[in-house]
Amino acid sequence: MLKLENLTKKFGHYTAVNNINLEINSGDLFGFLGPNGAGKTTTIKMIVGLYSPTAGTIYFDCNDVSDDPVNIKRHFGYVPDQPYIYDKLTGKEFLYFSGGLYDLPKNVIKDRIDELVDLMKIGDWLNKRTEEYSQGMKQRITFASAFLHNPKMLVIDEPMIGLDPQSAHIVKQVLQKKAREGMAIFMSTHSLNVAEEICTRVGIINKSQMIFDDTIDVLHNMKKEMERNFEELFIELTQD
Amino acid sequence: MSQILHILKYKIISFAKTSFTFKANEIFKHAGGGIIYIAFAYGSFEFTRQLVNYLLTQLRIGMFLLHEFISIILFIFFITVNIGNIIVSYSTLYKSQEVIYLFTKPINPAKIFLIKFFDNFFYSSSTFLFIVLAVMAGYAVHFQLNLLTTSALVLLNFFPFMFSAASLGVIILLIVIKIASKYGLKKVLITIGASYVVVLFVFFKLTSPVNMANEVMKYYPHIDRYFGELIPLAIKYIPSNWLSESMYWISQGDVNSALPYFIYQVSLSIVLLSIAALLGHKWYFQTWLMSLKIQTKIREERKNRIKFFIFEKVSRFRSKTEAMLKKDFHLFIREPNQVIHLAVLLFMISIFLASISGLTLLGRGNFYLKSTIFLIVFLFNALLISTLSLRFVFPLISLEGLTFWKVKTAPITNKKILRIKLLPPFLIILFISQMLSIFSNRKFPAELVLLACVLSIFVAIAMIFLNFGMGGFFAVYKEKKPIRISSSQGASIAFLLNLIYMVFLIAVLFFPMSKYFEARFYNTHFSYIQFLMPVSAIVIISLIIAAIFYRIALYSLKRDF
Repeated sequence: MLKLENLTKKFGHYTAVNNINLEINSGDLFGFLGPNGAGKTTTIKMIVGLYSPTAGTIYFDCNDVSDDPVNIKRHFGYVPDQPYIYDKLTGKEFLYFSGGLYDLPKNVIKDRIDELVDLMKIGDWLNKRTEEYSQGMKQRITFASAFLHNPKMLVIDEPMIGLDPQSAHIVKQVLQKKAREGMAIFMSTHSLNVAEEICTRVGIINKSQMIFDDTIDVLHNMKKEMERNFEELFIELTQD
Repeated sequence: MSQILHILKYKIISFAKTSFTFKANEIFKHAGGGIIYIAFAYGSFEFTRQLVNYLLTQLRIGMFLLHEFISIILFIFFITVNIGNIIVSYSTLYKSQEVIYLFTKPINPAKIFLIKFFDNFFYSSSTFLFIVLAVMAGYAVHFQLNLLTTSALVLLNFFPFMFSAASLGVIILLIVIKIASKYGLKKVLITIGASYVVVLFVFFKLTSPVNMANEVMKYYPHIDRYFGELIPLAIKYIPSNWLSESMYWISQGDVNSALPYFIYQVSLSIVLLSIAALLGHKWYFQTWLMSLKIQTKIREERKNRIKFFIFEKVSRFRSKTEAMLKKDFHLFIREPNQVIHLAVLLFMISIFLASISGLTLLGRGNFYLKSTIFLIVFLFNALLISTLSLRFVFPLISLEGLTFWKVKTAPITNKKILRIKLLPPFLIILFISQMLSIFSNRKFPAELVLLACVLSIFVAIAMIFLNFGMGGFFAVYKEKKPIRISSSQGASIAFLLNLIYMVFLIAVLFFPMSKYFEARFYNTHFSYIQFLMPVSAIVIISLIIAAIFYRIALYSLKRDF
């Protein structure tokens, strides 16, 4: 479904992402791990079209994203690391706005909001302006807006930042459910526990280069063989 | 005091660090900005010198009338700084994250108040100060004032004048919050708004430039003498009059007569600054807490508001267009700064239209004066269009803010984003420009009204696109306050480009307009073909400007976010 081929991003002389190759398929819940500054957010921003790659190609369903970026964006849902939303709009207005951007008819938006209210537990807050929301509530609304148009692919940057245990639990359950339904999920995270708990595949990026990309089972086997827990293994793989 | 200096030191360091990065495009941007600033400073200086010279030697309006006109401009300037300071101060004193951070530290709130007051004053008035200093220099050179006198005029009269306007603004703000906690913000704001309307109405009623000019002209050619008896008593006690009076006496070489006005000006600024500091010391933290209560109350009252253009309702627009239009509409009307500023600007425009309605009378029997008046009215209209564009169009892209990720990752083209964002302000400003052209020129012949209407369409197009493109190029997504965006460095450069464009307009129109009024005066034939070249030049240049700045706006959206 999603294929990154020799993807590179440079900011001046600094190479943030260096020659990454990766493939994500339908139903994959891909955990993208790496230390701070490794290149996770930069990679994600290139995938969703916020950054243009310096070199390399992004394919979605075998089509080069740069050939028809607008149409391909219809199939993507994105949740950024910071849930910035228009603070003078209510949660419901933000969702109607998001649906409008994806050409969804009003009745469809209404039905989808009703579903997502239950799924994300946002009913009590829907008619309040988002400036009154906590970080967790903003994150839930952002998730809801990403699910609204039923994308084939969901790209999430650090979904657990600022979430209370209840919100984190909801998000994890929803992601697993969506992956089971066939959605491809690309999720960067700092939380090794989360990756271990819900991801089906894991990739590790360090100093702008991919150093590991395999299924979670392979990772579990490595842990056993090397007699280390996930945290120790991660530190060993990413140390200088 | 050491705490204040310590904080100011780090504010300056932080400003310097964010402003200067040694990247080629940044250096180019700053160098370009610097060159435009310098060019503009020189342009303002030279323009003032030539204008004063023209008004005194060609039009012969006399020293007294010149300074009365300066007094009116200074009054508008005073009110603008004053209202601007109330709006900006509310954001920075009561809603800024920096203030919340400083409140958690062992700093006396009065010190925070002073730091933010000066921060506001210099940040939002720096471009104004810069322009006025260049204008003052032009004035000083024309009257051959020495450096000491000019410096005294600026430091001991103009600066206190500005400080008085800003201090009064912050005093009004503190009182508004204090009273609003008792009587409700709505009532207090309506009362304050109505008071400003009354003050402006009374001022323009008392100081009608037409009446004043007619009275002075009765004494022609002895119009250089001091007509103090023509100045209404109430006007004698306002700071704008003190500044213009001192300018009048200094230009006449009579420093002794100017001296009392210096004393009044400095004394008033000290008194107002002291009152502001005292009220800040007594009320700032208290009113900050009150403002939180007021904000909570406003939130509770929101549920009862009338629903208009709501998202849930189906409309005739296409989905994306509707979503973007509704989002921009609701964000605009829910931001008090935007609504208040628009109301103030529209009110100022109405005042402008009302006060110039009789201006053609001035030009009776003098075709030079008539053509000058027509061009000045045209220039003022352009300036108002430029102000509206700078204030409401320049921040459009920046105001998408950090939430822009939602639009940029959605299936919508950059061209469509720009068109939808630009369309409503474009239509509104275009409509205002037509109203301005019709009503401000209504005493001129019909063909000139038509000409003004046609030209103003292209002026509006050029200025709207110029400010939009510049706003995109200098987008500051982290800044939420529209007024700070429209007074940022990028906005200053945009404003200077607007002014350069206005100089071009006048340069192109001056000759054919003089010929037109000359032909009417001597009852000779005037070929309208003479308008063809300048009008074509304005149309072509305006469309080129629009195309260039549209491309710049488009380029700005292609940048990494």
